Amino acid sequence: MAIPTVRFTDERLPNGLRYIIAEDHLAPVVGVNIWYAVGSKHEVAGKTGFAHLFEHVMFQGSAHVAKSEHIALVQAAGGTMNGTTWLDRTNYFETMPSHELELALWLEADRMGTLPDALSQENLDNQREVVKNEKRSSYDNRPYGTWNEKLQAHLFPPEHPYHHPTIGSMADLDAASLDDVTTFFRTYYAPNNAVLAIVGDVDAADARRWVERYFGRIPANPAIPPLGDLSLPPTLGGERREIVEDRVPLPRIYLGFRAPVFGDPAFDALEVASQILAGGKGSRLYRRLVRDERVAQDVVMFTLGFIGGASIAAGWATVRPGVEIERVEAIFHDELDRLAREPVTDDELARARALVETDELGALQRVEERADRLAMFATLFDDPELINRMLDRFLAVTPAAIQAAATAVFRPDNRVVLTYVPVTAPGDAAALDAAALDGDEPTADEAAA
Amino acid sequence: MSEIVVATRPTPGDPRPYLFPTFERSRLSNGLTVIAVPIPGRPLVTATIVLRNGAVDEAATHAGATVLAARALSEGTKRFDAIALVEAAERLGASIHAEAGWDSMSAGVEVPAARLEPALDLLAEMVAEPTFPPPEVDRLRDERLNDLLQARADPRRRVDEAFVDTIYTADSPYHRPAAGLRGTVEPLAADDLRKAWARGMDPGRITLVVGGDLDGVDVAGIAERLFAGWRTAPGVVGASSIVAEAALTSRLVRFIHRPGAVQTEIRIGHPGVPRRTPDYPAISVMSTILGGLFNSRLNRNLREAKGYTYGAGAGFDMRRAAGPFVARAAVNTEVTVPAIREMLLELDRMRTEPVADDELRAARDFLIGVFPLRFETPGPVVGSIAGLVVHDLPDDELSTYRARIEAVSREDVWAAARERIDLERAGIVLVGDADAIEGGAPLEEFGPLEVLRDQDPPSG
Repeated sequence: MAIPTVRFTDERLPNGLRYIIAEDHLAPVVGVNIWYAVGSKHEVAGKTGFAHLFEHVMFQGSAHVAKSEHIALVQAAGGTMNGTTWLDRTNYFETMPSHELELALWLEADRMGTLPDALSQENLDNQREVVKNEKRSSYDNRPYGTWNEKLQAHLFPPEHPYHHPTIGSMADLDAASLDDVTTFFRTYYAPNNAVLAIVGDVDAADARRWVERYFGRIPANPAIPPLGDLSLPPTLGGERREIVEDRVPLPRIYLGFRAPVFGDPAFDALEVASQILAGGKGSRLYRRLVRDERVAQDVVMFTLGFIGGASIAAGWATVRPGVEIERVEAIFHDELDRLAREPVTDDELARARALVETDELGALQRVEERADRLAMFATLFDDPELINRMLDRFLAVTPAAIQAAATAVFRPDNRVVLTYVPVTAPGDAAALDAAALDGDEPTADEAAA
Repeated sequence: MSEIVVATRPTPGDPRPYLFPTFERSRLSNGLTVIAVPIPGRPLVTATIVLRNGAVDEAATHAGATVLAARALSEGTKRFDAIALVEAAERLGASIHAEAGWDSMSAGVEVPAARLEPALDLLAEMVAEPTFPPPEVDRLRDERLNDLLQARADPRRRVDEAFVDTIYTADSPYHRPAAGLRGTVEPLAADDLRKAWARGMDPGRITLVVGGDLDGVDVAGIAERLFAGWRTAPGVVGASSIVAEAALTSRLVRFIHRPGAVQTEIRIGHPGVPRRTPDYPAISVMSTILGGLFNSRLNRNLREAKGYTYGAGAGFDMRRAAGPFVARAAVNTEVTVPAIREMLLELDRMRTEPVADDELRAARDFLIGVFPLRFETPGPVVGSIAGLVVHDLPDDELSTYRARIEAVSREDVWAAARERIDLERAGIVLVGDADAIEGGAPLEEFGPLEVLRDQDPPSG
């Protein structure tokens, strides 16, 4: 099953804006995705959560767009949109009926060029409250909602910018001023720090003309400060354990490992390994923990890819009532060890490959996903052509590569074990109203509801 | 400053004509309906088999049997045990799944077109020949019971459960979750699941929907080979009548106390309307204005003006009978009372005055404009056609949708709000820290107040 090649053009405006256009006329739909090379890793101590708060401010208006009007115009045009913030980057996207593409480009250009013209204390204060409620909804008042923050804190040292979560701290959000917002904007929101991808039912010549017209006069920032050295030792250097009391009925174990950076072939091997370990009912951990030994309610394994020093490989299992937590943990470790001890079978690998292939085929059907990936690969690796090579890279992963990656990563001296246990006395977890099985992997924080 | 951008907003180009994919029905020799939906250029095909037995058809004493039966379909069949079945599907790169809801049971697969036939073979085996092995049924039942424990501790799931329990009479299936409650799930055994499944095994009422690039794929021929042998199972039942009565005759505030909760989950509403209702387009536009768009009245007020929440919305869950109408938000504890006040104000304003022209236009344009975006890939196309089958809607329901939305007037929207929103009999259900809200007294301005104190969730 061959996946259709994505053909695109890759150009720059004189001000440095990189823009990528891919025509596809199957559906009357076009995706616009703009990636800014700024994320929570650019935040300094005392200003955590700032990149994400800023993302919300980007929907509060610019010189020719009123507060909330960006979303109103996109929705009235029959489009959808959002923004997301993650450790390495921030992105904004619209999916539009194709005859409304020009509107999306005009809106993105207006805020890239003129955001401070419309900035007000009132709007900043309003979005600060919205973000605090996002933190309450998505982390504090959520099932086992602190795990991601805790894994990041354990896996990255305090001086590393991956140590703190994208959502930041409430105290830091309170301290954010209008000046901070303006400075952040002038520093990072420049055309030479962005990649714009346009994918779908568009004539490339039209799109090019509109990109030049709307973005062409926005000045570059020649002085974007470089990030310091983010490199890290490949392993943690010792096991770290934390017991977390939470108002949850069932205990849950989280395992986190420091992993190779996104883009490293060993990271690809870990992605395929995650599929073999816990990708569905045929996977090793599911069979053993859930189906055969019946000690876990669920099991999940995944990777979070970052480019600055290290990524995260992680998983969790929810412990069934009456089962010793240690037993679930021991089996979990044993299966990870087995991946390092012996090669996966040809049949397991063939099944994993077939599923990865179908997943890729499904994901790349949508213009929004294609625009996102083109902008991602250009932003993170300066190589948008990776969109056409990723599947081959996954399919090229060998049993030996999986074994090598598992040996390097799934080691006791490279792991964090978080054990969530039900609180023993009512009120102990006053600040942590518990919640349940969501099964959600963490995603970048989003601006819109 | 602003000369660096273009001040004038561009005007849209000419919209490219859009037609919902056309589809053709055929019937196999045993009466099973086959719908093929050619969608050129989409090699990843979606296929769904729809059975007409839903959770709504099961006895209250066995609530959850249908949902559990769907989950158990992949646990073993005549030809395969569970592992053999999942491995066979994985070798095809096919993800096979089955699920049940209020109105139907369905099983589906996404697979490259070239492997459609072997994937459908597995799907057919799973739907027609399940064995419901007792040890696996016991495991699935225990997993559901554990899930119910977890639901109790999740503020969102807790409030949704308490809300339907508050607004529907106890003899309505809708007063419980479709997957059942502890007392109804605990006694479920393999035979109960088999009966729940058999209720839908009537080829005359089963539909197969296949969508994607079907060029060179003989869907009818494949279906005839794989499905024409299906026979009616003993225990088939037709559509049952559904009780969907309101429990409340006046306003009630029910507060489920969770000490230390940093937010209050708010649900306000009552039984709504069935999917087959003549004012469906007007209700769609009305609820889009009230709580569907980002700039809906609820979100604009509670989020963008007040900062009370990450998001507020409202909508109708339309089922074969009247599913719930609900307005929802999660707000920080301190603003619980003003947030409820604003939500009620917005609900009341929908009823007491007509919407503005620009609101009407924005909502209609959104629903019409976003329609082609929703159907970019085969999955949603097949899903929506399956929905027509479940609700006995006409084949042109989707192709006429946009014109019907376009025709909705201010008067239609106002009438829909007046007829379909009833604040006098609304349930206001809250999960949060009741003690932190000024002794609870201010909540009584909204109606008689009941505070329930959950025991702490039982420990594992």
